Amino acid sequence: MTVANGPQMGVTLYSFTNEWLTRQFELDTLLREVAKRNLGPNIEIIGFQSFKEFPDVSDDFASYFKDLIAETGLNPVSCAINSDRFMKPGQQPIDDADLVEYHKRQLRSAKKLGFKLARGQFALPAHLLPELAPFCEDLGMQMGVEVHAPMWARHPAVLEYREMYEKLDSPALGWIPDFGGTARAIPPSLLDAARAIGTPEALIEITKEIWAEDGPSYVKAGKLREIAAAKGYEQAHLQACTLSFFILSNNDPKSWAELVDRTIHIHGKFYGVSDEGVEEAIPYEEILPLFRDGGFTGTIVSEWEGHAYCAVDAFEQVRRHQAMCRRILAEAPVAA
Amino acid sequence: MLPVERIIGEEGLTATPRGARLAMRLPWYRSLPFSTVEVAGVTLDGAPVDLTDAVVEFDDASFPLAEIGEQTNAFWFVRDSAFLVLPGVQLAADSEHEVSLLLHVNPPYIPGMKRVNPQTATLRVN
Repeated sequence: MTVANGPQMGVTLYSFTNEWLTRQFELDTLLREVAKRNLGPNIEIIGFQSFKEFPDVSDDFASYFKDLIAETGLNPVSCAINSDRFMKPGQQPIDDADLVEYHKRQLRSAKKLGFKLARGQFALPAHLLPELAPFCEDLGMQMGVEVHAPMWARHPAVLEYREMYEKLDSPALGWIPDFGGTARAIPPSLLDAARAIGTPEALIEITKEIWAEDGPSYVKAGKLREIAAAKGYEQAHLQACTLSFFILSNNDPKSWAELVDRTIHIHGKFYGVSDEGVEEAIPYEEILPLFRDGGFTGTIVSEWEGHAYCAVDAFEQVRRHQAMCRRILAEAPVAA
Repeated sequence: MLPVERIIGEEGLTATPRGARLAMRLPWYRSLPFSTVEVAGVTLDGAPVDLTDAVVEFDDASFPLAEIGEQTNAFWFVRDSAFLVLPGVQLAADSEHEVSLLLHVNPPYIPGMKRVNPQTATLRVN
């Protein structure tokens, strides 16, 4: 009898965006650092962040990368690909055939590098999935769409994908939840970063109030912009506050239960884990048991996004996040 | 300034026979097609620079800035600087200049989003 394993932990190199952009690490030294700190072995890499040759990687680079993977003992689980449909700003999106081919180029590269699955995006219209599902099946790759804020289980775009998923019923397609869509609050660290550049407390209070309201994020962000313009707040301060509407939203954490059965991979989005082991904005204690008890056995990659507004040590944040997730995953199942 | 906000590259400002050459960094977390980037303005010591004949150089490739919108299959690797060559702008070696750069990115998977990035720095000519 085989025993199903529970969710596995890992990390996306996106967590180390600050260290990467400031050239503190090369790809090889970053992978070695992740391995040395035991933050793997499972890893996700954004093709267009870490691989210069993306979307078409050469045999030589693939060979180099596979040697690095063998040396470090890491496991390349997920390659994030991009649905770049709007190549010319202000103009029509690219043709469907070109968008499908753009995905195929990235999927072939991800496969060549040894990844098991690819992270896709909703900018790929659902009506193109029937073309990509058999391609993925033939290639031996899965492709999951990232359900990222403002999306959540009952967002219209998710429901449209869901209908197509059920129609195609392909083992190659699935969900990649990103927990930022079901936050309980704006991360205090984000608001502290806004304060640090001089954002007035009154603007921060208005931001918190509007963020907590019901409704689409873009509508709420628009409301904040109108108020800020009327009251004459500085653009930089407004921008620091509106960030919260694009990276997080306040949908029901329990709603993830509706996606568990087709979830193939998880982005463990987080902003700051306290000394007590609690994430400051996203209710992991509510969310993780849904996947643990729902039979999910894939990988949860720690995805620290505090780098969008601050520069604390990403490695320490990931260590804390993984410890928190392991603690929650080790708890007894919640009785139905 | 956060790393993702940096648009004036580490390699700074260089005098070349082709004109002044300014290093630029992509203010995003991932590589983007050049077609989604706009070089919206450069000033040198407070005076706007005419960009009509400016050229973008990246690795071994180069193209006129005026044609950047057509570069849908040329990718700006997020860790590397691209260079803006300004023909006709001659700078003395070792002279110091205040440089302002304005660069917009339009992420191609987020319709309608335009991120506006200004930066000003005092640079010594390499």
